[in-house]
Amino acid sequence: MIGCHDFCGHYEWTFAWLERAGGHPLVRDYWDAAINRDSQRHARELIEREGFAGMEKYWGHTLLEESPDLGFNITTSPGVFRIDMHDCPSKGFLRRNGLEQYRDYCDHCMGWTGPMMREAGFVIDHEHNHRGQCWWEMRRAAEKGGHAAPGSVSGAKDVRLRPDWRPPGAVLDRYVKQTDPDRKSPPAS
Amino acid sequence: MSASPLPYTDTKPQGSADFYYATNATFRFLLARLGEDGWRRYLRDLGRDYFAPVNRAWRAGGLPAVAAYWRAFFAAEPGGEVEVRELPERVEIKVRVCPAILHLRAGNRGIVREYCRHCHILGEARAAEAGLQMRLSGGDGACVHTYATPAAALPPQDPAAIREVAS
Repeated sequence: MIGCHDFCGHYEWTFAWLERAGGHPLVRDYWDAAINRDSQRHARELIEREGFAGMEKYWGHTLLEESPDLGFNITTSPGVFRIDMHDCPSKGFLRRNGLEQYRDYCDHCMGWTGPMMREAGFVIDHEHNHRGQCWWEMRRAAEKGGHAAPGSVSGAKDVRLRPDWRPPGAVLDRYVKQTDPDRKSPPAS
Repeated sequence: MSASPLPYTDTKPQGSADFYYATNATFRFLLARLGEDGWRRYLRDLGRDYFAPVNRAWRAGGLPAVAAYWRAFFAAEPGGEVEVRELPERVEIKVRVCPAILHLRAGNRGIVREYCRHCHILGEARAAEAGLQMRLSGGDGACVHTYATPAAALPPQDPAAIREVAS
């Protein structure tokens, strides 16, 4: 039986298997068709229906279940929904167990939430450091702003204020008002 | 090195049951895009590759290692009701309540009818790597998995013994 206690392990393994079987298009298709439109359809329906309130309900529940020690912070401000992930339960599982088959596991989050947000009328500003830390800001597609200055939305909980956010040699993957997992921006200087 | 019979462990005692949604969706995706042969290939590769540390532990530790693994496995899965019995030449895992089928039904998810066959395809691939045999009977929420040494001379798997899921 395929279990749920080690889900992130076989999920990450699956990305690499799909890439060998059908190249990157099959991986993208998987994130959208299987995860966004099937597995996570409850998130999709909630956010399409309720917008920011739906995001708060979905991630409030999901992150609490996956990360009961609160390795994350959610901030709701007018016009923006922000997540600061200080200790990603999913990437943390992979790092603790030495599992790495796919080139960037973190891409799967944009892979399924990107299409979901686009169809609900939102865009995403995001960075991840490949070490289980990332941040997300969701805004209405027509809204101005994005990549708010560190601390300006989530205060001291902003993951970018951590001393280990960008250690020497770390590469930040960055998205600016984006919903496509393949459209990363050049790293900020 | 972890003392757990599970090769990959988390800081939480049990996994999040909503991940069963993703496994079911993965099967639906693979069956739709790659057909049944592709789905079978995925499961066999998963069994040989991702589960290689377990397969090695089973080969080294024999049936007691198999029993210890499945006890730890179901203890880490939420909502199931399972008994693991060590018998001469075999281990029987009686799944009275399958945690995956239970949660998928509770979530009103359409379950792929082939769902229960994954346990046999995956289990058979893993058992073969460990020098064992695997058979499955039942399905659709309750079943029996048998892992046995060659000395048990189990009859071949009867495909009809594995029930399709009635969604």
